[in-house]
Amino acid sequence: MTEGFKSHPYLGNSQQDVDEMLQYLGLSSIEELYSDIPEEIRFKGDLDLPYYKSEYELIEAIKAKMSKNLTTREIRSFMGGGVLDIYMPALQDEVLRRTEFYSAYTPYQPETSQGTTQALFEYQSMICELVGMNVANCSLYDWATAVGEAALMASRITKKYKFIYTAATAPNREAVLKNYVVGANLELAAIPYDPATGKMDIAKAKEMMTEKDENDKYIVAGIYIENPNFFGVIEDELEEIIADAHEKGIKVVVGADMNSLGLMKPPGEYGADICIGEGQTIGGGPLNYGGPLLGILAMQFDRKETRQMPGRIVGITTTANEGERAFANTLETREQHIKRERATSNICTNEGLVALSCAVHLALLGPEGYKETAETMYLSAHYVVKELENIGIKRVFNTEFFNSFMLDLKIPKDKKEEFTSFMLERKIFPGIPFSIDGENYDYIVTTSYLLCEEDLNDYVKAIGEWRS
Amino acid sequence: MYRQAKWDEPLIFELGKAGRRAHLPPRCDFPKEFHIPENMRRTTPPELPELHEGEVMRHYVHLSQQNYCVDSGTYPLGSCTMKYNPKINETVARMEKMMYLHPDQPVETVQGILEVLYELQIALGELAGLKHTTLQTPAGASGEYCGLTLIKAYHDDHGDSQRDEIIAPDSSHGTNPASTVQAGMKLIEIKSNEDGRVNMDALKAAVSERTAGLMLTNPNTLGIFEKDIIEMSSIVKEAGGLLYYDGANFNAIVGKIRPGDMGYDVLHFNLHKTFSTPHGGGGPGAASVSCNDLLEPYLPIPTIDYDKDKDFYYYNYDRPKSIGKVHGYYGNTAIALRAYAYIAALGFQGLKDTAEHAVLTANYAVRQLEKIEGFRLSHTSSIPRKHEGVLEAVPFKTNYGVDGMDIAKMIISRGFHAPTVYFPLIAHEAWMVEPTENENKDRIDQYVQAVSEEMEKAKADPDYGHDAPKWTSVGRIDSAWSVRNLVVSYKIYKEKKEKGEFVP
Repeated sequence: MTEGFKSHPYLGNSQQDVDEMLQYLGLSSIEELYSDIPEEIRFKGDLDLPYYKSEYELIEAIKAKMSKNLTTREIRSFMGGGVLDIYMPALQDEVLRRTEFYSAYTPYQPETSQGTTQALFEYQSMICELVGMNVANCSLYDWATAVGEAALMASRITKKYKFIYTAATAPNREAVLKNYVVGANLELAAIPYDPATGKMDIAKAKEMMTEKDENDKYIVAGIYIENPNFFGVIEDELEEIIADAHEKGIKVVVGADMNSLGLMKPPGEYGADICIGEGQTIGGGPLNYGGPLLGILAMQFDRKETRQMPGRIVGITTTANEGERAFANTLETREQHIKRERATSNICTNEGLVALSCAVHLALLGPEGYKETAETMYLSAHYVVKELENIGIKRVFNTEFFNSFMLDLKIPKDKKEEFTSFMLERKIFPGIPFSIDGENYDYIVTTSYLLCEEDLNDYVKAIGEWRS
Repeated sequence: MYRQAKWDEPLIFELGKAGRRAHLPPRCDFPKEFHIPENMRRTTPPELPELHEGEVMRHYVHLSQQNYCVDSGTYPLGSCTMKYNPKINETVARMEKMMYLHPDQPVETVQGILEVLYELQIALGELAGLKHTTLQTPAGASGEYCGLTLIKAYHDDHGDSQRDEIIAPDSSHGTNPASTVQAGMKLIEIKSNEDGRVNMDALKAAVSERTAGLMLTNPNTLGIFEKDIIEMSSIVKEAGGLLYYDGANFNAIVGKIRPGDMGYDVLHFNLHKTFSTPHGGGGPGAASVSCNDLLEPYLPIPTIDYDKDKDFYYYNYDRPKSIGKVHGYYGNTAIALRAYAYIAALGFQGLKDTAEHAVLTANYAVRQLEKIEGFRLSHTSSIPRKHEGVLEAVPFKTNYGVDGMDIAKMIISRGFHAPTVYFPLIAHEAWMVEPTENENKDRIDQYVQAVSEEMEKAKADPDYGHDAPKWTSVGRIDSAWSVRNLVVSYKIYKEKKEKGEFVP
């Protein structure tokens, strides 16, 4: 009856099915279902899209393209910046490959989605354990968008419109923050860092927090501090400033390196109101060229303020008839599908499976494994620093750090490419280039637990060779 | 017959015992000397589960068995396009050459992925009829936000900063108004006609020198094509506004109609809907944003550019009018790779077939369902639906006291997923059905029959409806309890237990 189509594995129906359905509908072709569409907007051309006739040809073609990449398993990576190469235990991908998890939708029908909801409740709970808080949402897109969402949330809670953040924030996160606050008309200001230590300039931050409006009211909604900061420096003089912030009703947002919390004090224990970070680095998933990632957002529970959180939250609940324990999305009246223009955020699709993946990873590590990974990262970085110092190569900031530090290389702009190739020949990604003066590049170096002693020695050797 | 697994599965925290290990991470032999300042040292370890490896697996197997998914059965969730997730896409995404790429690697070491992303952007731009595309947006709502921000940037750049109103019909997706507000604009909601389409008089009355744009999914959320789109486009454009296409419903028209040809200036596609990437129990998805020359200067930084002479892909940050960044890196690239594999498995003709079959199965399902006593098709019945259709369970509720949600729960008892219920808001007791091109005729027949049988049972016994679903791991859930008590973490759970408060 119809002009016919080619059967394909992604189409459920045969020509016979199609004909029977058309017959039921009293139609002679599928085209008739488009009959209400004006002729002039119908597309009649042909598009030259990629196409492979079989699954085998498809995968081979993609493999061929992707073979042009060099991976962090071929070139040793000393790059962090908010994401990190990690090892995913075999069990973890076994769980992620379970179609029951990955091919399910958002659990809007909780009775048939107890797997997703319980797993996400457990994820939220594990994040709370790491950051020392008692409520976390079940994911935002990434750390960078979490900074933006945290700023908006601080503003909603305090009803104030200025947000200050340290200049030692990663440039990509700062860029997203700048973009995110435009709509809400938040004013941003960066708190300078002390050029000697790389730490936030506390005196300046305190001064910025005292800004008032014409009615003598403080205007700052929140302050954002990364710890360790983008330079790897540990911010250890926060007590006074946090007390000061709370006195003025300013929300303290800490962006934590989630791995550092294996050794470092959880932000909830030193007074942070909101904690954000990147979950990829603690098991969310492989680097995947920067996505999908896992934006973490947690806060200290407050009946009123928690209602200002963005994103989905899963809670324990009960069945209507049997009083059994169950799990379901809660506080949905904050969300776009219910509240529309009055929602706390527009987020709908989030990073649920990455959150689940992160929970599996943390369950595998346990408290001991979590601490061990942090220790390995810390000790590897400190070993490299010590060895580099032995050959006269220093850090930009001589302060305490976790697994990241800024190496004082001062590579001129026009030598940068040469340096990259030099290191590439030695199978090393040397770090993330960062220029303080706009002319010369230092490198922010990060160690994962995947680098063994030989890799670290090679790194030191390579840098030494470059220097001489 | 359908029975979902049920395990009395404890919280993972309740399963452990001190000293058990599930994994040994790589460790080094350096002497354990730590110089973290004392006031910044962790003193108590986090209370993470302590399990043996096999117990971790068992826990997640139990949880997974309490989940319904696309591969379990028919999942006709309207507006969500729950199509089959081809398994080759999962294999492709797990290539080492994908997984182990750091986003800050030198571009010469990532030419493969950049080529894929670039080609995908070209392909999506072609399907959009809008030639400039970014993949930086990690989800549909992020795409909307990005696209609306482009519109705002365009007006600001043209001395029209007073243009801060986005017009959208009352049938729009919830993300539309939310994204509008997030982009710093006001939503002007206009009423739909009795036939479910945009009311042209309302649109004419809504446009003004404040109009930034019109945001419209087409076909709309009733599955009805907005046939007056060209006229709408001229009304909005004459008033100085631009048009945003919400691509959530694009599956109906892939390759058949290009939004750019309908007058749209910018759009997003949900790669996890139309382009088959998994929904992940809520995410991750990914979106692409395509726009025309007018809006191109404002696209997020960086864009991926290609130097033909050198056969070299690179990031372009030199975009002074850009809105900035909307994601830390370049969006959900591993999802984008899956979408690329999907497109390349079908090609242009195959994609067009998917749209046609999606429309056919939707009409076939909806036209059968509307014949069941208690249902009626929302809005004008004579208009063919596209990829989805909305039924109203109003007669059933009136006659038998069993509402749309009850019927949705009853169908879950039969091993199907519920439709999207109570959306769009302009339909009453809405039942929004979208089978997609994957469901075959036999499955749809079984589905329709099951709906019909379940409704018969509820006629005889309304409580059968109120108490549904049966055979799921847990019975009807009382969500209100969770909102009153807010037990949202294990910490709060323990506190409440310690205080002797009831927690199920």
